[in-house]
Amino acid sequence: MSWGVGEPGMAGDGVLQELLRGSLDHCVKCTICETACPVSNATPLFPGPKYAGPQAERYRVADEPSVEWSVDYCSGCGVCSQVCPQGVKIAEINAQARNKIKRQKGVPLRDRIITRPTWLGRAGTPTAPIANFSLGFRPGRVLAEKLLGVHRDAPAPKFAGRRFSRWARGRTGPRTGRRIVYFHGCGTEYYEPWEGEKVVAVLEHNGFEVEVPKQDCCGLPLQSSGLFDDARKVVLRLAHALAEHLHDEDTIIVGNATSCTLMLKREAREILGLEDDPTLKLVSERTYDICELLLELHDRGELKTDFKPIDETVAYHAPCQQQGHYMGKPALDLFALIPGLEVKEMTARCCGIAGTYGLKAEKYDIAMEVGQPLFEQIRGSGAPTVACDSETCRWQITHGTQRPSVHPIDYLHRAYGLDGSA
Amino acid sequence: MATLSTDVLVIGGGATGAGVAWDAALRGFDVVLVDRSDLAEGTSGRFHGLLHSGGRYVVKDPKAAEECIGENRILRTILSDCIEDTGGMFVTTPWDDPAYADKFAAGCRATDVDCEEVSPAEALRAEPRVNPQISRAFRVPDANIDVWKTVWSLARGVQQHGGRVLPYRAAVGIHRAGDEVTGARLRDARTGEELDVEARMTINASGAWAGQVAELAGIDGVRILPGRGIMIAMNHRMVNTCINRCQMPTDGDIIVPIRTVCVIGTTDQHTDDPDDHTVLQSEVDAMFDDGEKLVPGFRRARALRVWTGVRPLFEDAKAGDTDTRDVTRAHAILEHSERDGVERFLTITGGKLTTFRLMAEDIVDAACQQLGETRPCLTRTTPVPGSEDRGTYTLGERLERKESSLVEEQLVCECELIPRSKLETAMRRRGTTNLDDVRRLLRLGMGPCQGGFCIYRATGILHGLDGLSAQDADQSLLDFLQERWKGVWPVLYGDQLRQARLDDWIFQGVLDVEHLPSIDTPAATEPSTAAT
Amino acid sequence: MRGELHFDAVVIGGGTAGLVAGARLAEGGARVCVVVKGVGSTHLAPGTIDVAAYTPGRVDEPRRGLEQLVAARPEHPYAALGVDTVSDALQWFGERVAGGPFPGYRYVGDLERNHMLPTAVGGLRPSTVVPETMAGGDAAGLTRVCIVGARLRDFHPSLCAANLSRAGVVARGIDVDVQLQRADDNSLGLARRFDDPAWRAAFAAQLALQLRDEEQVGLPAVLGVADPHAVWSDLERRLGRRVFEIPTLPPSVPGMRLFEILRSALRGAGGRIVLGSAVVGAEREGGRITAVRAEASGREVRYVAPWFVLASGGFASGALELDSEWHTVDRVLGLPLRGVPGPDKPRFVADYFEEQPLARAGIAVDDELRAEGADNVVVAGAALPGAASWREGSGEGIALASGYHAARVVLAAAGTGAEATATA
Repeated sequence: MSWGVGEPGMAGDGVLQELLRGSLDHCVKCTICETACPVSNATPLFPGPKYAGPQAERYRVADEPSVEWSVDYCSGCGVCSQVCPQGVKIAEINAQARNKIKRQKGVPLRDRIITRPTWLGRAGTPTAPIANFSLGFRPGRVLAEKLLGVHRDAPAPKFAGRRFSRWARGRTGPRTGRRIVYFHGCGTEYYEPWEGEKVVAVLEHNGFEVEVPKQDCCGLPLQSSGLFDDARKVVLRLAHALAEHLHDEDTIIVGNATSCTLMLKREAREILGLEDDPTLKLVSERTYDICELLLELHDRGELKTDFKPIDETVAYHAPCQQQGHYMGKPALDLFALIPGLEVKEMTARCCGIAGTYGLKAEKYDIAMEVGQPLFEQIRGSGAPTVACDSETCRWQITHGTQRPSVHPIDYLHRAYGLDGSA
Repeated sequence: MATLSTDVLVIGGGATGAGVAWDAALRGFDVVLVDRSDLAEGTSGRFHGLLHSGGRYVVKDPKAAEECIGENRILRTILSDCIEDTGGMFVTTPWDDPAYADKFAAGCRATDVDCEEVSPAEALRAEPRVNPQISRAFRVPDANIDVWKTVWSLARGVQQHGGRVLPYRAAVGIHRAGDEVTGARLRDARTGEELDVEARMTINASGAWAGQVAELAGIDGVRILPGRGIMIAMNHRMVNTCINRCQMPTDGDIIVPIRTVCVIGTTDQHTDDPDDHTVLQSEVDAMFDDGEKLVPGFRRARALRVWTGVRPLFEDAKAGDTDTRDVTRAHAILEHSERDGVERFLTITGGKLTTFRLMAEDIVDAACQQLGETRPCLTRTTPVPGSEDRGTYTLGERLERKESSLVEEQLVCECELIPRSKLETAMRRRGTTNLDDVRRLLRLGMGPCQGGFCIYRATGILHGLDGLSAQDADQSLLDFLQERWKGVWPVLYGDQLRQARLDDWIFQGVLDVEHLPSIDTPAATEPSTAAT
Repeated sequence: MRGELHFDAVVIGGGTAGLVAGARLAEGGARVCVVVKGVGSTHLAPGTIDVAAYTPGRVDEPRRGLEQLVAARPEHPYAALGVDTVSDALQWFGERVAGGPFPGYRYVGDLERNHMLPTAVGGLRPSTVVPETMAGGDAAGLTRVCIVGARLRDFHPSLCAANLSRAGVVARGIDVDVQLQRADDNSLGLARRFDDPAWRAAFAAQLALQLRDEEQVGLPAVLGVADPHAVWSDLERRLGRRVFEIPTLPPSVPGMRLFEILRSALRGAGGRIVLGSAVVGAEREGGRITAVRAEASGREVRYVAPWFVLASGGFASGALELDSEWHTVDRVLGLPLRGVPGPDKPRFVADYFEEQPLARAGIAVDDELRAEGADNVVVAGAALPGAASWREGSGEGIALASGYHAARVVLAAAGTGAEATATA
């Protein structure tokens, strides 16, 4: 397989990593990233993005052994890079440093398993009742913590027992000729197939012909745990699978798993050093988050606005990975189109889960501490339900607040009357 | 007036002088080492940090090459704590004469400089930022050497052997009794107090200033031809190996990674004044162009600061004086007894940092001979304090140390990872109120923010120690800001300009240091007078 | 067209100037989007609104100081803004603070008199409109003061007190033995602790034991990020004396509050904010900018609008750049500059404490602060030429007033056409 930049360690790879590293030159030590970092504000174990990123990077030499463990406490949420006024790729530098630790010190079995949603999903789906029972079964979780280092209390989604792709393959949507490629991600595939069904319904309501290619994981969990080589293989496989469906210059890819679309858009290219891979570049340029797409349609006057009122209050949390798209909060603009819907914008930054970070036994408490300000803000908002664009964040929010959480598409789906209620 | 008596007085606290003092102390002499300013404040502290393999001289000056590789091997064992084994590479860029590479390889063989040719691809794998158009590459045992640490380690060694180290004492007179030099008069640069030192032997190790010192002894004609060169420190290590152009030595042909930065050097301009620290715009521009040839993108990288070093090139009567690079880099020992009929006074000058130990050995040998004493040199095998039981240092050491005390230990200078305890120890041990001294000792304020964040902290800590007055603390802060600016403004652009503006923001805005009470304002002790 | 969004006005930059312009535009009914590369000036500055501090003599009356700045330099931004705009903007700002996210928190002061506030080194800095939490530090009301640190590396009470003593205030410095979360904690780390009532009560109890009669208390600016008025008034009540904050090294806790006040005014009025997206270029038709291109993940987004407010900052933010070939450029929209020394003139001088020749460079503007060669771009904040903000102590005053002014220019013109283009 060609990765465009050759095997890791090849010159091209090195140059890309050097350019990422070179962004540390922009750092003026201003501390703005420190004010935004959810983790360093919750635990002293992570010294903060400025320290671990541009500062420590000046002391890192490729051939010297890694002398750090603290950078492994970075959750990789990426907020530091977003708020940095100088353009330092802080989170990306930290990801490289974590990768180096993992390469040199080995990767726990736990990280090899929980970073493979596809394996987990395939293993869990046919046996969903049993798998779900064991996930909810306390002695089993204690055992899992002891053997694998997955915290006994960490939020565990329930396997849906059916797969989204089976549903998609088993139906025929309207042939409008206005094709769009749907990247549903693993969360929709194994745990929340109904979210995908709603995405398809909303897109079809707006006149799209939805194609659902055969697809796999985007590699984000592997990447955020520092398993770069595996992550590269996985993301490029996905990029090729999606790219085959880009029939013409107008076809785009849309996804509802905001972390996974971000992986395709930017993170894989920057963090994994795949900037020059032409397929990934094409996919990156064409990929949209679902809310981003709908807002753009609205801007062009192409979004149907036949919304029925929803007299509810909803708390909206824009997860870190959604913020990493650098597109504002389009869900809020869409919610504003729904009559009656009262939206409380949460300003606390992070729920703490950061993909698989909060599942790890040694990081569970930190993740819960990170999430506290958000949980409190949600509880204080008076909203019975939370909307959030990322599935792992939703699970953590529900775990932390005991409130149901949904993807913003749920409200659009309901407001369009597509749930059959109106 | 106070008087000291000693065996050997060494004038000049650079690497050579400190090396001479260390050599003499190891041979059992009582030693006094003095400098007009701080140790390593002159030429030693103003170079790029390269510990030569000798590769640079294999074609042009094979003797210098042999000396370099010999000393390189010795220093790695006796001064390991001050050396990082980065390795070096000579690369043939499109701007270099391709025929030189073979001459270079032959020269290395002839001078015993270890050299291994590697393919350009392999060289680029090791150093991905180097110009991909290189056609040849040779690995050599270049390394970097932390010169401030070196000089202070030597000074510590001198002190451990009972010697005295007296920075900020300028020689203002050299005493003579007939044909014999008997010592010198020193003036404390900070207090103005004077001190007489009586010595059996006085060694002039003042480098580029050797002519001035010799004149104090009434000796004329010690003509040093100062060669002025600029060096620019870049914000991070774009290369981790010392990268040299494979060509006859010229301007801007080497990049040395040292500590957290890399330094490009150097130029060579004749000057009459060793205290001339001019930086010409044209030199800076040329240096950036040279950097671009070695590392494409160099101009977009961040330059931290520029400085000027003055090489003490001793003018041989036979050499011309147009290009100082052609004047010998080998060191010169002036036996003033033979040359000028003045006994017990020796001058050592010329040479280069890599050969400081050899220079010290030679001059102390000469001193012994004149004193009629047989004392063998021990510096070849005796480790300098701090280097006793260890290998060469690694860049990650400070990071590793901080990692082991992440929560408990407070960092003062974040860029250079200097913990508060280390700063306090250094301030106490040096007894200094000068933040610029601490800068040289610990690299305080030498990172990207150039003191923007740490200098307020360090001033606060300095003030808290030993009841320093607010006036002195304020003055030290203001002096540091001015001193730092000297090296910053001639290369201020891009990222460093953003930093400078943020630093202005902090010092002019948040702290408003420009409107502190004037230095002669006393403190209020009685209930407020200003509030009325 | 794909990758394109339309607004009535697009504001570039999210410091004080940009947020004020954005909030005011949104309040005026415009569909506005504030596009921000990263969080900026608010978190770094003391959080005060300083109108004029030095001209170069110390300014006691900001109104006069402002006039002196204009008299000395007709190209100064205050010349275009005028004292009335500054005054209107301050009033608007006061209302937004009052109606903002922090109950009870307010700013005090006006154009008639500067406060003289202690700095962390112990100097006294003239400051115009300041948080109530700092106002108590005004030298006019200081008699005996205890400067209290908490072992923060960013605040040194003994130095601060020693210099204050030299300024005529009887002062001493102490450190309360606070167990920081980590030794390297900054002001924000401590501010979060102060937000916790139980922690605060314990701190106050410990401090009370060390205070002498009649001593006022100066603390680093760490009195809460969530509910500063409650933190500050609770401490004053518990200690039974005047308590005030002293700004210190970044991050600035009062500045973070300021950001939150302005951000919430913007959001409350329906304005959009996109954080993390750097504007990297413009499209133009004749003398107008028609769209700006901003980096987002995966691709660029085109923001199309009839009006733009350029509040991207100066050299500190990187919006203006001097490159290694010594060319100075506006990296955001590529607009012409003013105040840049010629190619053979010095950009900097060797004396750090002199004014640097490049200090007053900025985007060339007309007397309405519209960019030269781009009629529909109004420039605000540190991107403006003519001021030496830090030395004059005028940066935040200019930012607030020019952001306010920019919105007024756009809204006035919009009355004649912006709504029409909004749906185009």
